[in-house]
Amino acid sequence: MTPALYVLEKALDAATLRQRVIAHNVANVNTPGFKRSDVSFEEKLARALGVEPGVELYRTHPGHLPAGGLELTPEVVPDNSTTMRQDGNNVDIDREMVDLVQNSLNFNFAVQQLNGRLAMLRYVINEGRR
Amino acid sequence: MELLPALAISASGLTAERLRLDIIANNLANINTTRTPRGGPYRRQVPVFAEKLQEALKPAGAQFKGAGVEVAAIVEDNTPPRRVYDPSHPDAGPDGYVALPNINVVNEMVDMITATRAYEANVTVLNAAKAMTLKALEIGR
Repeated sequence: MTPALYVLEKALDAATLRQRVIAHNVANVNTPGFKRSDVSFEEKLARALGVEPGVELYRTHPGHLPAGGLELTPEVVPDNSTTMRQDGNNVDIDREMVDLVQNSLNFNFAVQQLNGRLAMLRYVINEGRR
Repeated sequence: MELLPALAISASGLTAERLRLDIIANNLANINTTRTPRGGPYRRQVPVFAEKLQEALKPAGAQFKGAGVEVAAIVEDNTPPRRVYDPSHPDAGPDGYVALPNINVVNEMVDMITATRAYEANVTVLNAAKAMTLKALEIGR
């Protein structure tokens, strides 16, 4: 699989997982003592793509794969640092709604990109057949 | 990773908030009830929400075990009943005071608004998940 398809697949995975996490946070908006969770993916992606410097092994050639390959599994991170209300619940509904919109857009973006890639493949295959 | 669990999670939120609304409606309807099967005035009821987790982890990609919310119990509010002087009431005690339910309309209205808003938020999340599922069906078309 080409790296682009791999990254897009992982992005879709992450968006799906985040959707579940947001749904869980919103469903528990009135549960005493509940702590919200977050999904970390974009930071990992930025690091894997070399946009953001991370700790990584020295490579003798830029074309070499980084150590460990592209490790892009989204991760659920509980957020225990804040408290919104007297009962210990820290779900901020405004934030969840903004995250929700952002996540939907990310998902749509990834699907659109994926479709573009697939259309390109299809085009190449069809043209080669002539 | 699949999107359908997200729908189920939002549905659990909708169920819980609707149950809360039902209980609030019941409290308000019984605001003047002085007779219950157990005797004594009606007591305000409160739902207890609890985070719901998946019992068993599924093998693949199940690092997140959140499964929404559930109503763990419906408990009675233990604050003492409201006492009103009304000797003509059939349920008045020898001192002329009637014990009325420990319900405060303002509390109930505020709870009602939070329940409605939380319900709406869950609907929003549900719609987003639905749109995402439909979008996923377009992959490769």
